[in-house]
Amino acid sequence: MRVPFCLQEVSMRKGPGVNARKLGQFQDFSCTVPALILILVFTYYPVVKLVQISFTDWNLLNDHYNYVGFKNWKWLISGSGTKYLLNSLKVTFLYSLGELCITLLGGLVLALIFNTMGKGFSVMRAIVFMPKYVAMSSAAVVFLWILNTDNGILNYFLQVLGLPRVDWLGNRHTALISILMLTGWRAIGYGMIIYLSALRGIPADYYEAANLDGASFWQKLFHITLPMLSPTTLFLFVTTFLASMKVFQSVDIMTAGGPYRSTEVFVYKIYSYAMEDFRMDRASVMALAFFVLLLIITASTMRFSNNKVNYDS
Amino acid sequence: MNKAATQLERNRRAVRNRRIVTTIQWVLAIIVTLVAIFPIYWMVISSFKSQEEVLLLVPTFWPREFHFENYVNVLHKVNFGKYYINTIIMTAGILICQIVTGVFAAYGFSKGQFKYKNTLFLLVLGALMIPLQITFIPIYIMFAHLHLTDTYLGLILPEAVSPYYIFMLRQTFMSIDDSYIDAAKMDGLGRVGIITRVLSPMCKSTLFTVTLVTFTTGWNSYFWPKIVAKDESHRVLTVGLAKLRDTFAGQGTMNNHEIMAGAVMAVLPVIVLFFIFQKYMLSGYSKAAMK
Repeated sequence: MRVPFCLQEVSMRKGPGVNARKLGQFQDFSCTVPALILILVFTYYPVVKLVQISFTDWNLLNDHYNYVGFKNWKWLISGSGTKYLLNSLKVTFLYSLGELCITLLGGLVLALIFNTMGKGFSVMRAIVFMPKYVAMSSAAVVFLWILNTDNGILNYFLQVLGLPRVDWLGNRHTALISILMLTGWRAIGYGMIIYLSALRGIPADYYEAANLDGASFWQKLFHITLPMLSPTTLFLFVTTFLASMKVFQSVDIMTAGGPYRSTEVFVYKIYSYAMEDFRMDRASVMALAFFVLLLIITASTMRFSNNKVNYDS
Repeated sequence: MNKAATQLERNRRAVRNRRIVTTIQWVLAIIVTLVAIFPIYWMVISSFKSQEEVLLLVPTFWPREFHFENYVNVLHKVNFGKYYINTIIMTAGILICQIVTGVFAAYGFSKGQFKYKNTLFLLVLGALMIPLQITFIPIYIMFAHLHLTDTYLGLILPEAVSPYYIFMLRQTFMSIDDSYIDAAKMDGLGRVGIITRVLSPMCKSTLFTVTLVTFTTGWNSYFWPKIVAKDESHRVLTVGLAKLRDTFAGQGTMNNHEIMAGAVMAVLPVIVLFFIFQKYMLSGYSKAAMK
């Protein structure tokens, strides 16, 4: 709907003067002020403050602090903190890799399975997606119970199949896998839903043309479906990657970083320095390292997306 | 004649293949669905079992008798009712703040005209890159100084604005033609009127979907509440649930039936919402993906 011409005329004739226009601009600006102030106070100011803290020996248990120069940075990069940093990096990336595989590959496979209209399928789709809405803390205690060594149902199933019981959370080789089971259960339906809505967007005549040419299922998959899904894959990759780097809750509830630091992800390490050891200085350098890591990931995925993804449709 | 027969045969084979594919699809879909629903089923079932039944070596897949008192026990043993109220207050506070700041900011950044608009919007987008998991240290120190720890305000404030909410709404507001705004101005509506009576009703479904996402993330949030509300008085459900195990300390696996009862109570509101607003919840995320 367009504004009738006569009205435009009126608005021009009675158009606001310079002061009125300035006032209008100011009012428009003030709409954004509450949000901007909150963002400045709770996002940007803390980053600056973090940099400051990283040059001090700030300990919550002491009343005052001193500036210590690059001591904390040295501790992190070439001191006793390095091994924790590297361990956290390794664990976090392993976890991310797992979550990415589950969300992207698993989600895609499920989307192909569930890509059928019909009453039964829409109900099943909703059920597969539902775990996303089960609070992580509830899900985590449920999985603790399912994975319980002595009475857990998973070990019971393994026993029925004639396999040995596994100490899922107490073994450093399986602890991360246990956490990934929980993550996968919650994330796979999300991947599926995103891929499904993208699949619906692929024009049907592409497939009809391929059918006329006698293309096989795999040919259609690799030459039509996957290329057409590449923007969605990129979106899922970026969002899942960044979200998975921030994993904390499942680790905190299920393993608390153990056993033998095998699940000590980045955010958990920052948290434990700050809230358990009260070493704000170490927590700050760790947090800043994490910030840099997030920036690198974002920048590199952006670059990649500009080169590689097929956007034409 | 012969040709027609082969054609017929080919069609038959195609139909048969189609049927096989559909059957495989059904079987796989049912298996996936069963696996997906099993943890929820197991949570609910375990929450009704007695302590002895939970500890059986051969687990039962349906409780022998339903023990509703598990739920009452949880409410008595820990302050679960209080956690519930705290969670409701926190979620409501976050919702109201995010809607108000988000809708107004989205208007300013979409339909508003002022200097440095795009630069300031980049500031908002940049905040998407800086999660609370990085900024919590200075915020916690700040709140400790201001005596905001263990208060509702302390729980709500860091989440009072969501760059994601602003971004999503701005996209939707931009899609609305300027002529509506001009017409509303003609009719003498101010900015608040335009936002509340023209833009918001026109973008109802997006607004609703994004708000649902905000609600569930607020209800399920854990990281910040755990840090800022150490005291029992302002503890929320998610943290309280994780603490159930410590509260029943020493009993180890013995009280899993009660922990499951707590878990059911904590997820119930969101699951109910999910089934009522399934359509919006499913589309909420796909909408985000399309942007």
